[in-house]
Amino acid sequence: MTSATQPVSADDPFEDGVSRRLRIAFVGKGGAGKSSIAGTLARLLAAGGEPVVCLDSDPLPGLATSLGIATSDAGIPDEAVEEAPEGERARYRLATGLTSEAAIRRYADTGPDGVRFLQFGKTRGHVAPLMRSQFAFRHIVADIDDTPWHVIGDLPAGTRQPFFGWAGFAHLVLVVAEPAMSSMLSAKRLARLGEGENAPLVAAIANKTRRDDDADLVSQATGLPVWASAPVDPAVREAEHLGVPIIDHAPDSPTVQALRSLLERLHNEERSSP
Amino acid sequence: MDIDGGVLVADLEAGLGTLSRLEAGPVDAVVVVVEPTAKSIEVATRAIDLAAEQQLGEVIVVVNRVTNEDDEAHVRSALGGREVIAVPDDPEVIAADRAGVGLLDAAPQSPAVAALMTLTDRLAGAAA
Repeated sequence: MTSATQPVSADDPFEDGVSRRLRIAFVGKGGAGKSSIAGTLARLLAAGGEPVVCLDSDPLPGLATSLGIATSDAGIPDEAVEEAPEGERARYRLATGLTSEAAIRRYADTGPDGVRFLQFGKTRGHVAPLMRSQFAFRHIVADIDDTPWHVIGDLPAGTRQPFFGWAGFAHLVLVVAEPAMSSMLSAKRLARLGEGENAPLVAAIANKTRRDDDADLVSQATGLPVWASAPVDPAVREAEHLGVPIIDHAPDSPTVQALRSLLERLHNEERSSP
Repeated sequence: MDIDGGVLVADLEAGLGTLSRLEAGPVDAVVVVVEPTAKSIEVATRAIDLAAEQQLGEVIVVVNRVTNEDDEAHVRSALGGREVIAVPDDPEVIAADRAGVGLLDAAPQSPAVAALMTLTDRLAGAAA
């Protein structure tokens, strides 16, 4: 991780309190395209001059590649946390005086378009060595609402992390689903993240669609509204093969176009929300 | 687990979590499924290394969604020249997934099933 400390751009869109911050978590079954979509959306947002931090809570690599950042196993340094006093629920807390905002500035890598990238580290087997980093990550995320960043989170495949509170920062959960039965069944389970008091809004992205009615199929099978639909896209395949971001490889591809439309919708939704 | 001479096939969750908790020698073979993408190859490399480190059994690599010979060669090269079994990107697989039915029932003569027959032969060899 770098120690970049540059401030959010001088023309921070949040200084005047007009713009709203996006807090989005991407979830879904493995292979659905979460990381590609999350990374591309983050880059589109950052390219517009907005401050964006991407959260990667997957212990395996993926999101960094979609952003255009070199893969690294490094997590948040041990210095970020200290032993919590006896009686506190968590074993570690953020180091005295360290806020979420300061931690992001200090420990998040900086990628293309100025997008920031925070991960708790990658594993080659056991996650125990990443324990302190995981605590740091979760404390930073817990208070992220107090920061001026748009937040795009990419969770690991499946239901485990989403239902254990790792998407708790999100005002909006986007479930990425392919028009395949196993992908849609997982998405239907993840739709339950929208149940209960103070639950986030949950919507679906139909990815790798092949037919005109695939978005409807995903909506019917998951019970979720579909906010974006991206077709099977050879440009995505090429970018994934090469290990480069789709937005750099094919900025006018159908997938990037679909995500531009999604971003427009997200901005409209935020502006119209109370 | 006593399977009384039968065959046990376990589909582990994505990632390395379950693999890291297996003890040495409980399986005849670990099948690592990889797609011809940079991310997938990176994860597969970690899985192969971990399986070897844990001494879990023979590692067999299956490259899925192969569209051309370059895909297979790309993965083989990235994995240090390791032998791989290639499964083609098959419309029959997509149709079966969409319908929620088993590929073997929906399209037993499909190219993907033919490729997987190679895998079953390899697994039989690993268990012998």
